[in-house]
Amino acid sequence: MSQRSAGTLTLPWSTPSPKATKQVTFDHLLLIVTVTLALVGLVMVFSASAVVAGENKRFHDSWYFLKRQLAWLAFGLALLHVVSRIDYVWWKRLALPLLGLITVLLVLVLIPSVGVVVKGARRWLHLGPISIQPVEMVKLITVIYLAAYLAKKEDRIQSFRDGLMPAVAVVGLLSGLVLLEPDLGTIVVIGLVTAGMLFLGGARISHLFRLVPVALVAMAVLIWLSPYRWKRLLAFLDPEQDPTGSGFQIHQSLLAFGSGGLFGVGLGEGKQKLFFLPEAHTDFVLALMGEELGLVGTGVIILLFAVFAIRGFQIAARAQMPFGRYLGIGITLLIAAQAIINASVVTGLLPTKGLTLPFVSYGGSSLVMSLVGVGILLNISRDRQAGQEEMRQRSGRGGVRRQ
Amino acid sequence: MAGSLSRGRRYVLLLLLLCGFGVVLFRLVTLQVLQAAELSAQADRQHQKTVSLEGARGRIVDRHGKILAMNVEVQSVFGVPNTVDSPLKTARQLSPILHVRTDELERKLRQDRRFVWLARKLDPEQGRRLDRLSLDGIGVVMEGRRFYPKGPLLAHVLGFSGMDGEGLEGVEHRYEPYLHGEKRMMVLQRDALGHTVFPKGMMERSPTPGHSLTLTIDEVIQYIVERELEDAVSRARAKSGTMIVLDPKTGAVLAMAVSPRFDPNAVSALSPDRWRNRALTDAYEPGSTMKAMMAAAAIEERVVSPNTMVFGEHGRMTVANTVIHDHERLGWISFAQVIQKSSNIGAAKTGMALGEHRLYRYLQAFGFGQRTEIDLPGEGVGLVRDPKDWGRRSVASISIGQEIGVTPLQMVSAVAAIANNGMLMKPYVVSEIRDADNHIIRQVPPQTKRRVISPETARSVTKILEGVVTDGTGTNAAIPGFRVAGKTGTAQKIDPRTGAYSASRFVASFAGYAPAGNPQLAMIVVIDEPLGDTQGGAVAAPVFSRVGEQVLSYLGVPSDAPITLAMASRQ
Repeated sequence: MSQRSAGTLTLPWSTPSPKATKQVTFDHLLLIVTVTLALVGLVMVFSASAVVAGENKRFHDSWYFLKRQLAWLAFGLALLHVVSRIDYVWWKRLALPLLGLITVLLVLVLIPSVGVVVKGARRWLHLGPISIQPVEMVKLITVIYLAAYLAKKEDRIQSFRDGLMPAVAVVGLLSGLVLLEPDLGTIVVIGLVTAGMLFLGGARISHLFRLVPVALVAMAVLIWLSPYRWKRLLAFLDPEQDPTGSGFQIHQSLLAFGSGGLFGVGLGEGKQKLFFLPEAHTDFVLALMGEELGLVGTGVIILLFAVFAIRGFQIAARAQMPFGRYLGIGITLLIAAQAIINASVVTGLLPTKGLTLPFVSYGGSSLVMSLVGVGILLNISRDRQAGQEEMRQRSGRGGVRRQ
Repeated sequence: MAGSLSRGRRYVLLLLLLCGFGVVLFRLVTLQVLQAAELSAQADRQHQKTVSLEGARGRIVDRHGKILAMNVEVQSVFGVPNTVDSPLKTARQLSPILHVRTDELERKLRQDRRFVWLARKLDPEQGRRLDRLSLDGIGVVMEGRRFYPKGPLLAHVLGFSGMDGEGLEGVEHRYEPYLHGEKRMMVLQRDALGHTVFPKGMMERSPTPGHSLTLTIDEVIQYIVERELEDAVSRARAKSGTMIVLDPKTGAVLAMAVSPRFDPNAVSALSPDRWRNRALTDAYEPGSTMKAMMAAAAIEERVVSPNTMVFGEHGRMTVANTVIHDHERLGWISFAQVIQKSSNIGAAKTGMALGEHRLYRYLQAFGFGQRTEIDLPGEGVGLVRDPKDWGRRSVASISIGQEIGVTPLQMVSAVAAIANNGMLMKPYVVSEIRDADNHIIRQVPPQTKRRVISPETARSVTKILEGVVTDGTGTNAAIPGFRVAGKTGTAQKIDPRTGAYSASRFVASFAGYAPAGNPQLAMIVVIDEPLGDTQGGAVAAPVFSRVGEQVLSYLGVPSDAPITLAMASRQ
């Protein structure tokens, strides 16, 4: 019964999408939340980096980071606009080519003469004047691939070998490449989003649980292999023990939140960013906000992300095609999960990971890919039929099934 | 069935996400409300380990880039009390070098703090002696100290800055936002053992220095002006003196001097009276120099022409029951002669013919009673009363420069307006602001305030003022080879005890410009309370002449009378 009804649900996207979709405007609230977060990010990036950029002889210009972030934001918003006008069905067709492309890029970045090492990790690829981080693209491409896969194999996903394993294998392969850089944080996000999407696609919960021990063992081996992760874990378990060593970042981050209190010390007045809070403009931007704007500021950010999540799910749920629903929820999961993990890391709930806060943190690749994700979501939000139109369609479909 | 299953699972996923946000929010409340006091106290303790030092102040240079104010790096001494073994012994060793009392040093070193300043901005010699001691728990950090390499030169314009590097007077004060450097921070860290706190391995952020200023002042001209002014003041045994040199075409201040001078490198012992820039703060009664403006107004308004005959009343005229005197008993003379001989009676009569409203309008147009808006602090407005408060004698008095207070700067800009074909310019001292990389941040163009008189009037007033120097009261102002225009002034000061004009205290002045045909310099010399000869023509005019001669030659200004010179050289 369930399989048959799933079959009828595949009907709409095997025929061209109805013209009506073009007339539905995109979701304003989602765009407003996104732009608000990005603008708040711009302000905080400036507050955080004016010190660093002004101090550093190389950057010299205290507007350096602001200018760059502003340029990336403009580029990202332009891309968002374009993507929101591309029928999202295209992404289904592009899923496999994109998967191939990202695999090539991930391999390229590993080649010593091509990839650039920053802070011990080989993550950057220089393309002329700009540098990109392929890792930021991996996440979105994984989501697109999984959405396409789930939409196609919807009826077989309950089978462990035919449904679940092929997807897990592909994602595992990508993760393996990411791991070589190495970037554990991204893998955790990819893992969580993959699990979420497989769960949504109808995979048996018992099957999913079978993957947990595999993941745990893999993690254990990785930690055992590289001493710095072991140190980070120790530092996480007891940050007070050595405030100048590995626990330094987290400890300083907590001090920043604490000194901010309810209303913060005022924009630009934060002291932690001077020496104590490393990467205040990237990964730890929430801590900076905690110090300067207080609980009011951080609370608003978290609430904005929650609104984003709820709205993303609503948009996805209204999509006519299963691919749209999977894609929408996957993108929402990606951004929300990364926000939660980043916030958990900076508040000391999880070990340090090196993940940005979507839209807010400084970083071009991360910002642009998040905005592209939102662009796709906005296109999905056009693909719905309001009120009676939807009802009529449903009863129509019911008719088809009865025949 | 799959539809509802998928929907159920969707809600589960959303719920998980919202739970995640909830946990984060709860954690934030814990950190920012419940543990806030404890965490912020911890952060404060940590921040106390940072010491803020002022950044390097920008330089001040003259129009040719010669340095007038700069920063030198000097040593400041601090202690780390909890690492000093014997505060008393250390204090005894330091006291003779730092010139600080032993008990005071000891008290500082016994404080329960991580950091304490012992002495700031030492002399280089003190620093060398301190280095030889190399005491435990005592450290040295470099700080910027303001240094004026030319000593008293231009001190009244430059001003000076305080111990914490903030500009207190003059250009230093007015341009503080540009000059001051970025504060820098020094962080005290733990050493490898983790128990001492000593700034050996301190991080220091390299601070951005402040912007530098280029002045309109010419160091050479300023030097000539100061030397001649000091000389004149001491020869006349006067209380003080002021001299200003403007470029009349732009309003740029080429030199501005007040005598007696002071050394901005050592101001702490001086009273504020010594560093006040009287050239623009203090108003005086100008006396006869005001007749130049009165003449300009009367000619512009066609009340008189240079050739109009005026009766001199034989040196005595009664106005509003008071008597106005002249030095000479003059009969019928031309208006040009009224100015050249500085006839009070002729000037008063012309002023009365002009009338109070027109006179007042021209006083305002020439900029009296208002700030010139020069870019220096503390400028005075002078004293110009509203016509409705004027008495019956006021028109006559003001026409001869009484019942009115002006600053030397107001007077010289008014004279410069006549020199500049009737256009009043705004005087200024800073022409350029550059950042630490020598990129121009701001460039100050000359600013025209308004047209006061027509070019024709300016030309005929110039001719009259040239007569003052060729065969009038200002012959001592003459500069060989150049045509000079100007006006003398000798004003009685009001005795503060009696409230009447004093018979012994005068202000002697001369204001004018040269070369008269194409003015390059507008200058004023004001000598306050000269003893002996008190006449402006005798005390102030020679200073004008000597400075003018040297400066015109320094600037390479071609002589007004090339033919005469050529003939002279042939002989």
